[in-house]
This record gives sequence, C-alpha cells and structure tokens, in this order.
Amino acid sequence: MFDLLSIVLKYVFVFIIYLFIFTIIRMIYLDIRSVDYGNLESGAYLKLLNRIDSLPYNLSDSYPVEGELTLGRQKENIIQIKDPYISKKHFRIIKDEEEFFLEDLGSSNGTYLNGERVLDVVRIGKGDIIKVGELEFIFIDGA
Amino acid sequence: MKERLNSKAPRKLLFLFEILSLSLIFLFSWEGIQTETYAIAVGLVLLIYFSNYMLGRISKGDNYVFLIVCMLVSIGIIMIYRISPDLGLKQLMWLALGIAMFFAAYFAIRYISFWDRLTPLYLVVSYGLFALTLIMGTRTHGAINWISIGGVSVQPAEITKIVLVFLLAAFYGGDEKYRRIKNAEILLMLVIYSFIGLLFLQRDLGAALIFFGIFSGLQYIYTQDRRLIWANLGLAAIGGIAGYILFDHVKVRVTTWLDPWPYINDKGYQITQSLFAISEGGFFGTGLGRGNPAFIPLSYNDFIFSAISEEMGIFTGIGIIMLFMLLVYRGFKIALRQDNQFFRILALGISMVFGIQSFIIIGGVLKVIPLTGLTLPFVSYGGSSVVTSFIALGILQGTSEKRGKAGIGNG
Repeated sequence: MFDLLSIVLKYVFVFIIYLFIFTIIRMIYLDIRSVDYGNLESGAYLKLLNRIDSLPYNLSDSYPVEGELTLGRQKENIIQIKDPYISKKHFRIIKDEEEFFLEDLGSSNGTYLNGERVLDVVRIGKGDIIKVGELEFIFIDGA
Repeated sequence: MKERLNSKAPRKLLFLFEILSLSLIFLFSWEGIQTETYAIAVGLVLLIYFSNYMLGRISKGDNYVFLIVCMLVSIGIIMIYRISPDLGLKQLMWLALGIAMFFAAYFAIRYISFWDRLTPLYLVVSYGLFALTLIMGTRTHGAINWISIGGVSVQPAEITKIVLVFLLAAFYGGDEKYRRIKNAEILLMLVIYSFIGLLFLQRDLGAALIFFGIFSGLQYIYTQDRRLIWANLGLAAIGGIAGYILFDHVKVRVTTWLDPWPYINDKGYQITQSLFAISEGGFFGTGLGRGNPAFIPLSYNDFIFSAISEEMGIFTGIGIIMLFMLLVYRGFKIALRQDNQFFRILALGISMVFGIQSFIIIGGVLKVIPLTGLTLPFVSYGGSSVVTSFIALGILQGTSEKRGKAGIGNG
C-alpha cells in the first residue's frame, strides 16, 4: 500500500515542482506581483507586455485606469497608437461601481480578451490579457 | 492562446506539495508515529503559509525570492525528516528561528541606513570570528570550523561570509575615504587573502572557495584597476597549485575527484556512494521512503542533493538547480533595480553567495568538480546554515526595496 502510493506520488511531486517553477517563471516574465498587497498599491492599471524598445511608437510601461481609458489611432485617445492596424477608436475600459468593463468600439481588426474576440462589452478582472494587433496588455486591479 | 493568470498559484502549489509529501511521511512512519510528527507537519505548513502572507503585507519589494526558498526548504525538510525524524524536528525549529531572523534582517536593512559606514566594524568582526574559531574550534569531518557556545554548535565562517559581503559592499559602494587610501584595493585584496588563508588553515576548503568566488566576482565588476583582476586570478592559480602540493587534504579531494573507484573503501567512499544513489534514483526516483539514503555518509547534510535525487529522482534534482538559478536571477534583478550603490553590491554579493555555494556542493556531489564540504543553502540540515541563509535572504529582501541615493557616495 505504502509502496504503491509512494510510486504514484513521486510523479506527482515532480509534476508539482515543475509546475511551481513554470508558474514562477511565467509570473516573472509578465512581471506581476504574486501576493495581494492590500491597500499598498491601490488602483487598477494596464501594463504593457511587449518590450517597449521593440515597438516603433512611443508607449509607456503602464497606464492607470481611472474612470475611462481609451485606446485608438486618434489623438483624443488616452493611449494613442499610430498604427494602421488599430482603428481610430479601438476600445475603452470603463469603471462602473468598482467593476471594470472592456468595450470594443467597433474596431475593424478586433480586440481580444484572453485569446477570445470581444464582441460587445465584457467584464474584466485581475490578470486578464488584452490583445490589440501585436500589442498585449495585462489588466491589474491593485485594489 | 493565453489563459487567465492566477496570481496565487505558486503559493497553492507549495501548499499542495507540502500536504501530499507530509501525508506520505505519515504513512511511512505509521507504526512509530509520535505527536512530534503532527507537530512537524502542522508547524511546517503554518509557518510557511503565514510567513508568505505576512511578507506580502509588509514588504513592497520582491516577493519571488522567499517563495522560491520556501519550496527549497520544503523539499529539504521532508527529506531530512525521512532520513531521521529527530533531525527533521530539529530542522523545523531551526527553520522557525531562521524565518524569525529573516524578518529581523529585513527590518534591520529597511530601517537602519548607516550600514555603508561601518567598514572598520566589519573588519574587526571578521577577524574576531576567525580568532574565536582558532581558539575554541573543534574538529569535525576534517575541518576545524565549529565552535560550541552553551551546547549549540555554530560555524563562524557562515556568519563571516555575510560580513564579507557587507565589507566589500561598503568598500566599493560606501564611504569613499577608504578608497582614497593609497593602494586601497591592494590592501583589500590582502585582507581577503588573509581570510582565505585562515580558512585554509582551518581546512575549510568550501568556505575558502566561496570567499574567493564572492571577492573575484565583485572585484571583476567594480574594480578601478583592471590589472588587479589578472593579479587575483594568477594568485589563485598559484595558491591552488601550492595548496595541492603542500596539503594532503587538498590532494585527497582532487584524487577522489579524478578517479574515486580505486579508493572505494576509504577516501572515495562518500563520493562513490553519492554516485550510486543518484544513478539508483533514475529520472523519477525510487519514491519517498523506498531508497537507501542512509548508505551515503552525511546524507542529510552535504549530500542531501544525492539523497533527494535517489528518492525523488534526478528531475527533482534538476528542479532544485532551476530553483537556485531563479533565486540568483531574481537577486541580480534586484541588484539591477536598486539605485543605491551600496545596497546594489549587497544584493549582488548575497545572490552570488547562494549561486556559488549551491554550485560548489551540487557540483561536488555529482563529481563534476572536486568535493568540498559545504551545505546546500536552505535544503541541508544544519542550524547555522539555515539561520545564516535566511539572514542573507532577509538582507536580499531588504535591498529589493527602492532607496534614495541621498547621503551615500556613488562610485
């Protein structure tokens, strides 16, 4: 009985240890914090996952989401991206009663949330990945 | 396709690993199970879970290093308990003390700001600890590196190691007045070589190697005079050859490294048993409790890597190496992000201590490099090793927080 259990569990142990390592590497790669910091870092923000210097346009590392955050090719957007692939008004993130929603503003090439195309409005939470063209953002809700 | 990211996943995996391995340990020692066994189980899980939680609350700095170390500690303590329940219980107490010291070191780094101005103190403490070892030292396993204070054995070189990092950080990144002394760097080299010489006299080859490694690394990065790097390497080569010719205990290490098989019954016994154990384990190991780690002398201490490889497989062994690589990587990352020169060198030095020490001992038990007696940080049994490793980790945690450049000269 013990022998059998021990033999089965040895594979499980190796699996858990590697999954642990893999998760940590992935989190380090995405550069997010693994522990809830309570009120130490309040506020939600979008963090750019692409390397800034690999992109041909000016972007900053992260954008706070306060009320409304818009992304598009037009100057009026908070995040302006001069890329023909991006629509004039591409998407926006709205805060409504402590919840955050991602709305695609009828873009021609689409907005993807965790790999799925956003058709209308979806609620987003901590750790969600938003993809527009070649740009990837991670949504982090610090509160 | 990217799935949603769960930011608490590593903590949960750690928890799962502990629960599973502990229940297996329960089954393993079912007949002789004592209340102490429950103590170790509940103690380990609670200790690690709460300290992770606490750290997240109080520290704004890096939060991966402690998590990685928790995994290493869990693997180590389970293996130690399986080899000897008494030692496992003792190790748990050392671990509790270690974590307390981790927080103490963290707060000391966070709230005390004059660490970079204490160069003379570091010198005095280092030489003092060496003197203490030579006067009161007792010989274990061929090295005089233990002193006994009130029944508790401590290894002063473990503490000196950390003091050395502080000394080097204070020299290269702290007060400039020491660097303005004529030939300051040559004097520093003499001091370090005197440390290494003293360690050689105590026959503590492993510690001597670590001291040399830390010094060479930091010198390579920060020295103003590039010729000194060559001088250092040349001296090391001469010293190594001289040590091989003059000292028998160095010669034995090299002979058993090149070919241990003719000496399988005496001086090559340890290393051959270690190799047998690792090959016995194969990819996934024999399973916890189903191997014979007791055949390897000191399997709970220097040779814990072989014992783990035997029962949990070389995949776990590779996992341990990867965890150390991640730890060192995080340490370097902390150093790169730190603007304050002194704390940057401190973070670099501490990460190098972990990296070099694990490389030397894992390389040694795998017969890749000559074997020198050292503990595998966080995994091996040993009070002073666990406590000082956690102090070093606390320092690393403290340096991971941003600091102003105010009041400190930048070199």
